[in-house]
Amino acid sequence: MRLAVLVFLPMIFGVLSIPFGRKNPQISWLFALAAAALELGISAAGFFLSKTRFAIPGLFPGGLSLVADGFRNVYALVISGMWFFTLLFSREYFAGHGAHLQRYYFFIMMTEGAILGVFFAADLLTALVFFEIMSFTSFPWVIQEETEGAVRAAGTYLAIAVIGGLAALMGIWILDVQLGTTEIRALFRAFPSAETGGERGRLYLAGALILVGFGAKAGVFPLHIWLPKAHPVAPAPASALLSGVLTKSGVFGILVLSFGLFYGDAAWGAWMLVLGCITMLLGAVLALLSIDLKRTLACSSMSQIGFILTGIGTAGLLGAEGGLSAAGTVLHMVNHSLFKLVLFLSAGTVYMNLHELDLNRIRGFGRGKHALHAAFLLGALGIGGIPGFSGYISKTLLHEGIVEAAAEYGPAIHAAEWIFLLSGGLTLAYMTKLYICLFHEKPDEKTEHKPGPAAQPLSALSFLIPALLIPVFGLTGNFSMLGIARLSGGFFHTEMPEVLSFFSLENLKGAGISAVIGAAVYFLVVRKLLMKDGAYVNRLPKWLDLEEKVYRPLLLKLLPGVFGPVSALFGENRLTRPLAEGVFRAGSGLSLLFGENRVTAPLSCGTLRVLKVLSRALSDMTDALVYFLRKTLFRPARIADTDPVRSSVSYRIGSIADRISGDPTKKGGKRRKKPVPSDRHAKFFYRLVETVIHTTHNLSDSMSFALLMLALAITAILFYVLFVHRFG
Amino acid sequence: MIPSVFLLPVLLFPVAFGALLAAFRFRKRAHVRLYTMIVTLLTSAFSWAMILFGSTEPAVFLRFTRDFSFTLMFDGCGRFFAGIVATLWPLTVLYAFEYLAEDERQGVFFSWFTMACGVTLGIAMSGNIFTLYIFYELLTLTTVPLVMYTGTREAVRAARTYFVFCLGGAAFALISLLYLSTGEASVENVETTRIFYVLGVLGFGVKAAVFPMHGWLPKASVAPTPVTALLHAVAVVKAGAFSVIRLTFYGYSPELIRGSWAQYVLITLALLTILYGAVRAVREMHWKKRLAYSTVANLSYILFGVLLMTKEGLQGALLHMAFHAEIKILAFFAAGAVLHVTGREYVQEMDGLGRKMKGVFACFTVSALALTGIPPLSGFISKWHLLTAAAKAGTPFSWAGAAVILTAAFLTAIYMISMVRRAYFPDSKAELSKNEGVKDAPLLMLVPMIILALGILFTGLFPGAVIGAARDIAEAAHATGGGF
Repeated sequence: MRLAVLVFLPMIFGVLSIPFGRKNPQISWLFALAAAALELGISAAGFFLSKTRFAIPGLFPGGLSLVADGFRNVYALVISGMWFFTLLFSREYFAGHGAHLQRYYFFIMMTEGAILGVFFAADLLTALVFFEIMSFTSFPWVIQEETEGAVRAAGTYLAIAVIGGLAALMGIWILDVQLGTTEIRALFRAFPSAETGGERGRLYLAGALILVGFGAKAGVFPLHIWLPKAHPVAPAPASALLSGVLTKSGVFGILVLSFGLFYGDAAWGAWMLVLGCITMLLGAVLALLSIDLKRTLACSSMSQIGFILTGIGTAGLLGAEGGLSAAGTVLHMVNHSLFKLVLFLSAGTVYMNLHELDLNRIRGFGRGKHALHAAFLLGALGIGGIPGFSGYISKTLLHEGIVEAAAEYGPAIHAAEWIFLLSGGLTLAYMTKLYICLFHEKPDEKTEHKPGPAAQPLSALSFLIPALLIPVFGLTGNFSMLGIARLSGGFFHTEMPEVLSFFSLENLKGAGISAVIGAAVYFLVVRKLLMKDGAYVNRLPKWLDLEEKVYRPLLLKLLPGVFGPVSALFGENRLTRPLAEGVFRAGSGLSLLFGENRVTAPLSCGTLRVLKVLSRALSDMTDALVYFLRKTLFRPARIADTDPVRSSVSYRIGSIADRISGDPTKKGGKRRKKPVPSDRHAKFFYRLVETVIHTTHNLSDSMSFALLMLALAITAILFYVLFVHRFG
Repeated sequence: MIPSVFLLPVLLFPVAFGALLAAFRFRKRAHVRLYTMIVTLLTSAFSWAMILFGSTEPAVFLRFTRDFSFTLMFDGCGRFFAGIVATLWPLTVLYAFEYLAEDERQGVFFSWFTMACGVTLGIAMSGNIFTLYIFYELLTLTTVPLVMYTGTREAVRAARTYFVFCLGGAAFALISLLYLSTGEASVENVETTRIFYVLGVLGFGVKAAVFPMHGWLPKASVAPTPVTALLHAVAVVKAGAFSVIRLTFYGYSPELIRGSWAQYVLITLALLTILYGAVRAVREMHWKKRLAYSTVANLSYILFGVLLMTKEGLQGALLHMAFHAEIKILAFFAAGAVLHVTGREYVQEMDGLGRKMKGVFACFTVSALALTGIPPLSGFISKWHLLTAAAKAGTPFSWAGAAVILTAAFLTAIYMISMVRRAYFPDSKAELSKNEGVKDAPLLMLVPMIILALGILFTGLFPGAVIGAARDIAEAAHATGGGF
């Protein structure tokens, strides 16, 4: 029952807020805050309650079923905490510019229920239902500001969400067919215990499809494209939620696959590790190059998801021995939620004061603003993995996991280790860049920042309290952080480590290497290459503008692009080119979802033209047949150009009638060349014959089709009766 | 238990009173509406009484020869179809009141409309293929005047196309029906049986808009929206699908067809139709025509389920019949409401309308999501059952079908959800000034739409009863088989 309350209470509050909040959106805000506070209490109570299941069998085809365990309880607490603090902050954030606020708070509440539904789902189908609800209810967050950028980003978000959701549905369906269940517990080790190769192949296919769906939401390469676009354009509290927890719902799906279905399958683990490394490094590089505060943080989110994936990957490689990696994974998830809460709310504070996010415009804003300074610094130190802060604990565990995997699988994993350390260094570098820009550099002469506190006390508390948790967790790692890991052990089917000496020389070495790399990158790359005359410049080449120029076409090419490599292999010859083109163009129908731009417009135009010709030809096939028949077999007989009066029948009858009536104008029997039109009787018969002819004509014309079909039917039966039935 | 003899008055009631409506000269339009509403509601009530308490025994009213008789029977399958019709008809009538509010000739319209209701019920209540054929032809005749109601050149042409297509199709169905009545459909001459089965399915398939006999459906979307919504998304097209079910599971026996070329040819056609309809819908920019093409695709989902010839397949098909009906009728209502209020019929003209016509577009969003198959709305449930049935059948064709259905789901997302996005969040280039002063649809139009939207959500959340009914029907059909 507690689970049902957790999931449905915010949704009910959301619906209730509609009539009350119509006049004044502040009432909607109160509703949302009350819901979040209640949720916080209920989810905290979960640690002391034993009843952990809830099911409504009749709901959806598979029945709605929720389950709680240690890990889910932990995450429920994280989620409701995030919601509570962001809402606390929202009031001041929206005070200046609040259009459509009621809509915003409504969808905030709906999403809270839905995301808790994802995490508490006991089977994949329930998870997917809530996942879809979450995708659609978070869409209005992205588009909240309704600027051009927001509309475009939201379009991408929606497209990825819909495509991802359908792909996941497909995968879950294959699982259901193959295993007869989608219950998460029953999936455990289903893959390694599959016997035939075909069965394994299908399970891999299912896994890949589900990975597409959930990985897209998590921002895993190559489906991360929506993330660096959508997070910066959303309002800051929503960005914090998108980055901090919505991505984690995607990670949750990957956890279900990796620690359930594919548990102990080293190949799957290796794939996760590869994806993790690419995502981690790419995100960090993008973050380093960005000169927009929130975009940097968004790219950083992508990079941190990569860190989490490497943990999943090494845990998969190590199987039952992967305790360190599993602990690192769950702790980095929790940590990242915390960091992004602090950092995005800090960024929101900057934005609500200046309405600017460009580093060159906001530089020096934080000077003399102590609360903001402290919070941002704690967040930066945490995410940078500096010893003494919580990020260090999780990164050390992840690093240890990679080292263990390297010991077992050899040098290839060492490459992953170096990418890991390099990404850690880059994290430090871009955080230093932001920190120095905001709090140490002086603003231009033109701009003057108002002195005094940046935020009201309530808003300041909303980012200071979570920020204080970072060093507390960091210093009591063995107790607090590993405690969280131990709670989660059941979900990960892994023995979590009990006590570790985090501050041993071995462990400090990793952090040290990252710190050195970070310092080197900051001073050599950021200060030398990315700055010119003391201003930050965007060194991301125009043609490499990942937002628009590469990924949109790439997505449109990649999806249907199976034929691309083929045609590249064989060269473009007469056979392959139309094939590849056709498939490519079919894919550009997707652009309808994105809206039009310079890249997609010609594509969709071309597609439409091809489809137009094709479908015209197809659709008119039957029409053409009918037309052809009408012109040939059923051509209406032309109305004979005979003057009925002149026809011998009517003439004879007419003249007989004339003779009987003794019309004086007629000289008996003498046939004239042309009957006089004024002849009374001849005229009457003329009309009669004309009517008869026309009626028969109309009758035959309209009945012809039906009659022909009937005739066909009767002939067929006749044939049947005569030949097949009688003599057959 | 109500004896089956009462089936005849139930279906004659709307026919007789519909015809009387044309005879009466009502002085006020409000009287026409009141009369129509009472007749329709009573028809629905009688039908539901028969569905819930009626006997399943056949009742023979007229015997022409030993083999041909006019027989009514109300078994599970018929009750299912009649339930859909009896539920959706009053809602459409309610919607039509507002839609045709300004029309002078609405008496004529409602007269034919009510008669069509009786005839559709007749299809559901038919006790043998011959009776089914009679009502099938009558349905064509009673709906042609509705299609050409507006009297424009386009409407008359569309009606003619419709008439020719349906009549021709029925002729083929007649061939099949006559063959069935010879009693030759058995294992001895199995190949001949298959030929006649294919002919019959193609004949009834005209109304179910199987490619390449689908041409009439998009053309007929020029008719007034209540007609397109009810007749061309629910009654007429579903009557086609229903007849195919009767032919397959009750007329011929699935055992004779399953695994033969006949099944494969027909499944291929159905799959082709799904892809074709979805692709055409993506490129069609006329709103109602887009929905019509979507109907073309979705009807073949039903046919695909039937043609799998398994009880799971039939169950999925019945579910999709019910759920697609409520989803598509709502989508048409939304399109009609926009057309009625603003006079716009093209997708491009919808930019930003979602903000102005909140109720209409909220309902349309529900319909779009449900049609795409987003859980927890009802469209998801029927698609899930169809997919599972395909997987259980396990032939290459059924796997191909699963792939096609999933591909079509992507296309559905493109053509439906892109409209929703456009309506709420127009491209920045769009001229929003022309939306000034646009108001939401009148309440009388919104009420049936909201009922349907809630219905979609409700049947999606609590599908147990409908799933159970469909399963019982499928099992019974599977157990008896033939002899219809």
